[in-house]
Amino acid sequence: MATTSISLIRPQTEKTRPPRALWVSFDLGRPLGSAEDPEFQKDVIRAAFCLLETATAPSIDDYPIDAPDEAEAEQWACPLNLGPVTEDTLTGRLLAEVARLRPWSAETRAARNGRTLFGASGAAPDQVDQVATALAGFAESGDVPAADGGIEWAFDMPMLIRHLADDLRTHYHEAIAAQPGSGSPNHEALNKWIFGGTALGDSLLAAADQLTEIDSGMAKLVRGLLIPEGHYRGEKTF
Amino acid sequence: MRARAEALPEIEAGPWLTPKPLAESRVAIVSTAGMHRRSDPPFTLGAVDYRIVPGDAGFDEMVVSHISTNFDRSAFQKDPNIAFPLDRLREMAQCGEIDSVAQWHYSFMGAMPVPTMFEDTGTEVGRLLAADDVDVALLIPV
Repeated sequence: MATTSISLIRPQTEKTRPPRALWVSFDLGRPLGSAEDPEFQKDVIRAAFCLLETATAPSIDDYPIDAPDEAEAEQWACPLNLGPVTEDTLTGRLLAEVARLRPWSAETRAARNGRTLFGASGAAPDQVDQVATALAGFAESGDVPAADGGIEWAFDMPMLIRHLADDLRTHYHEAIAAQPGSGSPNHEALNKWIFGGTALGDSLLAAADQLTEIDSGMAKLVRGLLIPEGHYRGEKTF
Repeated sequence: MRARAEALPEIEAGPWLTPKPLAESRVAIVSTAGMHRRSDPPFTLGAVDYRIVPGDAGFDEMVVSHISTNFDRSAFQKDPNIAFPLDRLREMAQCGEIDSVAQWHYSFMGAMPVPTMFEDTGTEVGRLLAADDVDVALLIPV
């Protein structure tokens, strides 16, 4: 059986030496370049398959085309004004923000025939309030409150915090995907939005602070998995 | 992983195989996106195991439990084919570019700084692919 592969990180591929690799200039998370663009995706796949016919020794070829542009951080702004803040607690703020985004998230899920990545934490697709309450509760108190609705979390603490965060980010990403004029922001644009004053960003930073207080290497590791580099109060996350 | 790539150990290249013509080849996807069915156990820290993805699976039953926060999921949320191109392979089989799509595909979670840790499960998946008469495995990171 032969293999051909896509490479997103060229130095990694140079070290691991697969028989055939096609290096692409796309961002992490986008190995075939462009979502909902079947022809672009197939062009990348065909280029990787082409190596099956042309390569005669381990090699890395470059895919010559960049991915279609996405909105850079300085070009993109969420159309919604998520303020003003009227809730006193982080939990109240986060639940209010989640509710504000809910109609847009529902539109995206409907357009995707119900498909959602929400639920890696163990929550059902309709339990975003419980996930928000759990994350903000930990951020405020250092403990995850018991979940309503009988959720059987898929992870133990502290790794659960990482996946609560991911589920909430899914809710936010789904919400902006439906909004008119929101474009298709890239990874950094999304991070700048989340950590630029949303209740979710503030909850994640407070949760990271709680993890910092725990005398555990695992807690520090989860902090690094929670906050993308460059967004933790001017410090390294790991 | 990008920051640690230079520190990865050198892996010796495997034996060279001359593949069949693509139009006669059965193709499988091996991904490191950490994607799996909602009913599967999620990936855990340091996982080197894998989840099976049936060739007729629909993306509506999939979630991602990859631990890395340094890639965003929004493109995958919009269109899972961007990292797990099952629909694209089906289209290519339909028009004869490839012979067929494998019955089973395999999903690992990347972000493992010691790639040799995958040797046992990688070898196992190789045996499973061979038993499924797969001619070409398309390896896709995330």
